Amino acid sequence: MFIERLLNQGNAPVIEASVRFAAARHRLLAENIANVDTPGYVQRDLSTAKFQAALSDRVERREQSASYDSVDFDDLDSAVENPMSGALFHDRNNRSMEQLMSDNAKNALFHNMMIELLRRQFSQIETALKEHVG
Amino acid sequence: MFDSLETSATALMAQRVRMDTIAGNVANINVTRDENGQISPYRRRFVVFATGADRGSSKPGVHVHKIELDSSPFRKVFDPGNPDAASDGYVSYPNVDMAIEQVNMLEASRAYEANVTMMETTKAMINATLRLIA
Repeated sequence: MFIERLLNQGNAPVIEASVRFAAARHRLLAENIANVDTPGYVQRDLSTAKFQAALSDRVERREQSASYDSVDFDDLDSAVENPMSGALFHDRNNRSMEQLMSDNAKNALFHNMMIELLRRQFSQIETALKEHVG
Repeated sequence: MFDSLETSATALMAQRVRMDTIAGNVANINVTRDENGQISPYRRRFVVFATGADRGSSKPGVHVHKIELDSSPFRKVFDPGNPDAASDGYVSYPNVDMAIEQVNMLEASRAYEANVTMMETTKAMINATLRLIA
């Protein structure tokens, strides 16, 4: 109970949801790049803006609620969408390598930043526990 | 996260098959006879990609759907002295265009590189996640 409280009270669940989002988006980006030469393939993506809006909505709700675990972050999900449905090539594939690569870089950096934040948080908790025991 | 690696790997395989086909086209650019020695110019081959890790698979990725024969006309060269010339004095050479093959080759190798980059990114993200434990 104590550990659970420690892990769920701060922004760890928020970071966790962000990591899950980045991993899911990475999966789609990998699929898009794999299918860059497939005729008729329509690129798929997750909207970062929508995810962040949903996330901040949850955070606000949690702040207003009485207990920290009344708001769950686990079911936070984003719908797969097609970001540039207009721009098509002759083979009906709407690829854009530059867009894909920059999205990929941004997403990877975001993922690693969130992981780093989570790591810091864990080591903070570890320090606090050590002080308590020692 | 590990399935992103597999997705990129299917793309590497598909692009390699495409590269093999291009190499076959270029190697046979002047071939006027088939494997039995009969007069039958080589027909240009090209790959058709389809989405999905394998035929009928629901896993993300790309696979070579089929290798098609190019039905465009053969290149005719007037050379009455050639033993492979038809009665009108023209020799039929394969319908392989070096410029087209070169461009295709560049496209295939760039797509291959993009997928390798994607795999590097995936690996970096997995590494970052693993560092959470350490």
